[in-house]
Amino acid sequence: MRLTRTFLLAATAAVALAACDKQGGQATSPAAKEAAGDETLAKGIAADSKMGAALKATGLDATLGGPGPYTVLAPDDAAFDKMPAGALDTLMKPDARADLTALLTYHILPGTILAEDIGKAIDTGKGKAVLATMGGGTLTATREGDAIVLADGAGGKARVTKADDKRSNGVIHHLDAVLLPS
Amino acid sequence: MRKWILAAGAAALAVTAPALADPNKGGKGGNKGAQHAEHGQQGGKPARDHGAKGDFPKAERGGGKGQDNARREGKAFKPARIDGDRGKDDMRIVRPDDDRQGRGRDRDVVRVRDFDDDGRFAGRRFARGFDNGCPPGLAKKDNGCLPPGQAKKIVGTLLPAALSSRALVGPYRDWYRDDDRFLYRMGSDGQIYRVNRANSLIDALIPAQLNDFGYYPVGMAYPSSYNFYNVPVQYSSYWPDNDDYFYRYGNGAIYQVDPQTSMIRSIVALLAGDLSVGQPLPVGYSTYNVPLAYRDRYYDTPDAWYRYNDGYVYRVDPATQLVTAVIRALV
Repeated sequence: MRLTRTFLLAATAAVALAACDKQGGQATSPAAKEAAGDETLAKGIAADSKMGAALKATGLDATLGGPGPYTVLAPDDAAFDKMPAGALDTLMKPDARADLTALLTYHILPGTILAEDIGKAIDTGKGKAVLATMGGGTLTATREGDAIVLADGAGGKARVTKADDKRSNGVIHHLDAVLLPS
Repeated sequence: MRKWILAAGAAALAVTAPALADPNKGGKGGNKGAQHAEHGQQGGKPARDHGAKGDFPKAERGGGKGQDNARREGKAFKPARIDGDRGKDDMRIVRPDDDRQGRGRDRDVVRVRDFDDDGRFAGRRFARGFDNGCPPGLAKKDNGCLPPGQAKKIVGTLLPAALSSRALVGPYRDWYRDDDRFLYRMGSDGQIYRVNRANSLIDALIPAQLNDFGYYPVGMAYPSSYNFYNVPVQYSSYWPDNDDYFYRYGNGAIYQVDPQTSMIRSIVALLAGDLSVGQPLPVGYSTYNVPLAYRDRYYDTPDAWYRYNDGYVYRVDPATQLVTAVIRALV
């Protein structure tokens, strides 16, 4: 059979659809899928949440569906609602994709960091620990009572409300505010 | 006979058409002489020997699909594992990174890192700016940091003698390793040069401006100047090119790219590029971050700390706060 370009494109599309993850419709390679495991970071963030929608818009849902591992700081919907009116809508527009990617990668840390790891670093650091983010900036972690609080580069803070949602490719900590790089 | 004609044709293409670079075959582990001695890699032969098939790349349109048949089968070699128990870690020779400091440069463009006071790189700008003459990009325009016209002036030329010993700096040393077909050398203007061992010609460019520019946004075309298979070695078995998707590295991320349009569809991995042997542990890494599955083997003691970055577990000397070794690749 002659493999025409049209046939190949159609076949490619069919294969791509068949290989699609349920999450976000992104196909991924078998090796990466296996390394990611079943209960990925991506599956730990609801697709219809504001964070989930933002991850999908930036293509970062695929990152969180891959081998990782990453530590994700996930602001809840209520946290996004605290942003200035219209700020999130603006960020979700296609021409703001770079900014949205910057915002989200500020909430993704390399490796797997549990709450107890942050706690130990805070104690060793005499009250504070600096955390590197994938976005390039840093966060400063401190304790307030039993909770861990993260200070961002813009002078804002977020509290970890629910820590240590361990996933197959990392861990998620939920936040009550959105962190801003600057 | 046809094989030779194709090879000759390919050679001509390689010299005259810079965008049509060989894919990265990296016969890793198969030639111990080509490896960094200090890794002491145990790795035997890679699962596939790409050398034979790689001599004649498939014809490529501009944008460089750069795939050979081996890749199209969707299988990839496994990079040699740098094995390490706590008892028999492969110690890498501590080597202060004098490439970063003190090397005279006209233009300060070959920095891997731009340390701020915390010992970590300062914030990133995003890949839509005008630096290095790269136009803001949408759809079909290039938004890499090297316009294709400039790429063409470099690819296919002889590696300058001054660069022949300029090893990769920082994390790149563990992302792109010399193998029996290619050498990787730090170029200028924020590029890594992939050099064909056989003829010392610069074969392809890899963007190495991790901290100068942010991630390429989804929906942008992957820059044609870099459009060949350039996934760092520790991730190549996760993301080999296949019929449906290409994978390309740039500015700290691995992108899933449409083979036909070169459009970036998603980001499959983020790379921090923060740790490298001989460097101080950045302040942002005082927190233990080893993946859960490895914590029983690699845990902090007064004698050694372990930190994870970009597919590798690194060992740190707590006293000097220097990263002393790559201990383990996760794949």
